[in-house]
Amino acid sequence: MKKVSIIILMLFVSSLLVIPMGFAQTKPAPAKKPVSKEPVKIGAIYDFAGPCYMYSETGMHGLRIAVEEINSKGGFLGRPIEVIVRDTEGKVDVAVREVKDLLLREKVNFLIGPCSSGTGLAMQVVHTEYKTIRISAIANTEGQTVDKFSPYFFQVVPNTYMEATAATRYLHKKVPTAKKFCTINPDYEFGRREAAAFTEEIKRLVPDAEILYEAWPKFGEKDFTAFITAIMAKKPDAVHSSLFGGDLVAFTKQAAPYGFFEKIPFIALYDLPVLIALGPDAPEGTFAFARGDFFQDPNPKMMAFVDKFRKARGTYPDGWAVMNYDAVYLLKAGVDKAKTIETEAVVKALEGITIDSLRGTFSIRPLDHMGTVPCYQGTIAKDPAYPFKIWKDITRVPGEQVVRPEASVREIWKKTGVVR
Amino acid sequence: MMSFDVLFNQFLSGIARAALLFLVASGLSLTFGVLRVLNFSHGSLYMLGAFVTYSVWKVLLIPVVGFYIATILASLIMGLIGILIEFFLLRRLYARGWPEQLLATYAIVLIITDIVKWGWGGEFLSIPRPPPFKGAVFLFGFPFPSYNFFVILLGLILVIVLWWLVYKTRLGDIIRAAAHDREMVSALGIPIPWLFTWIFVLGSIIAGLSGAVTAPFGSIALGMDIEIIVECFAVVVIGGMGSLPGTLLGSFIVGQVYAFGIMFKPELALAFIFMVMAAVLIIRPWGIFGRPER
Repeated sequence: MKKVSIIILMLFVSSLLVIPMGFAQTKPAPAKKPVSKEPVKIGAIYDFAGPCYMYSETGMHGLRIAVEEINSKGGFLGRPIEVIVRDTEGKVDVAVREVKDLLLREKVNFLIGPCSSGTGLAMQVVHTEYKTIRISAIANTEGQTVDKFSPYFFQVVPNTYMEATAATRYLHKKVPTAKKFCTINPDYEFGRREAAAFTEEIKRLVPDAEILYEAWPKFGEKDFTAFITAIMAKKPDAVHSSLFGGDLVAFTKQAAPYGFFEKIPFIALYDLPVLIALGPDAPEGTFAFARGDFFQDPNPKMMAFVDKFRKARGTYPDGWAVMNYDAVYLLKAGVDKAKTIETEAVVKALEGITIDSLRGTFSIRPLDHMGTVPCYQGTIAKDPAYPFKIWKDITRVPGEQVVRPEASVREIWKKTGVVR
Repeated sequence: MMSFDVLFNQFLSGIARAALLFLVASGLSLTFGVLRVLNFSHGSLYMLGAFVTYSVWKVLLIPVVGFYIATILASLIMGLIGILIEFFLLRRLYARGWPEQLLATYAIVLIITDIVKWGWGGEFLSIPRPPPFKGAVFLFGFPFPSYNFFVILLGLILVIVLWWLVYKTRLGDIIRAAAHDREMVSALGIPIPWLFTWIFVLGSIIAGLSGAVTAPFGSIALGMDIEIIVECFAVVVIGGMGSLPGTLLGSFIVGQVYAFGIMFKPELALAFIFMVMAAVLIIRPWGIFGRPER
């Protein structure tokens, strides 16, 4: 009897382990027309763990829709695209191992991913060594394009410098008299870089600006109360933040009873998933920045994608899905232009290329392979058309206006030893 | 330079954090005190409790009391899962060494993480604060979220209930005796296996309850299990493994060190906690209220 119960439990447990992995690992994109030609393999490497899990999942939905569309029209140069999904578990050592496996065993032609800036920097060393192109649609540390430039890396998500610079300008436009600032950013690569870019830009806009206090909650912090009281005790004119996801949800709910949002102008990464999670708790009138959730750029191409996405998933697409969709089409544009999938030719083709994306047109800067993708800012507001709050007063800042100037890039390269 | 009300307000933030930590850590400490098992999966039951609370709350959609009903149901469900874990897994490992127990409970961490991914898709979720704890109360002219008072109140109730249970009841006598010498208690004809099951269930209910209470406080997300368990280990190491007053003191110390660390040296706020922990480990390895291992 005891043995039987143990076996039942083991079966139960192993089925639980197998089912989610089955979802995440294999589900090759269905090729509408079975082409006899050898497929082009895209390795999608994402962090299906912790806070990145959700971004990776929604990103994969956008990626798959793009792949299905392209495959139904003949794939890359007549060859169907096959997507191989791998999970870094959010760990740099696993990321390196999985990327090596994708490159050596699966022999993928291209890589898209990941979500975390940490795993992104780790895998960059590997795919550069094996001369394979990677496009990042979520991980956005500037380290990938500037400090540790790789000729085999391209980025279609605004990097930390662009994003924070654009958000700072919006905050300054909304509260032009603000001089005393506090910042609160997650304590890792991404948050550090956003804070540095904010400080740099606000000192340019307001020469006598003063940073009263910098708070560094750990990534995944659950209780921001002590940070909130510490910030309010400093009485800042405005607060800049790059908190996002569950952290921003927790911060917002905990700050609201203090009257934080009525007293202090605040900007943070209030994207679609955060607004949906917060529901009625989303603070109207608070400033927001994000990377291309559908309502921020309602152009015809985007709205067609919204319809398609809603049919497939039953939800509205967020920026993470949008950017992954754009990543696949950037690859397609590069391959079409190069007329081959051979790495060096595609790299050449991608440099300076301009594509018509869901977020309007952008091009790849030949200097550092940074896409001049737009950054979006707005003010949280109700809209009767949607069951969640969205933004009003939306600005779309083209990447060209906020990307780090060439001279500044070259200055950093001198320090980090990049020769180009 | 700092006025009293600013410091007092920061002190209150620290108390709120301490209350939350105590809720979680008390269950961990109780399990360890009696079963002598370091339950790595305690944080996972806390996370699962928060997700289950969300789903029950969403299904019920009852205004005002919906959240409280969801909290009770989620806590009980975690208790049921506790029975399964104890009966099928831990019971078979008491005689084995610590490494095997840690590995087994860590396996539960991985299993529950995948259950959450499978069941909820890893999205971060949120429950609005339930009435009547939506707003703030004013202390010295400073607002203080009333939900934090609710958490503190719940922490105090839990202290009293646990204290009463452990020190004032016959069951408590048995629990303390079993923690001291389980062979002797067993020789007196008390069914130790069932005692252990119920203690583990109680620990699991506390984990579920604390997860449920955290749900309206912050966000419900993957990763909250590991995040809390690390801090709880600091609490019980400082206060003393298995000691109720120790857990209370440990939570207070960690909450205050963190709150004032954030105010004066935010870069090092987390480091301060682990410096205190290291100091306790050097001076009194069994914790402030703990007792040395025999």
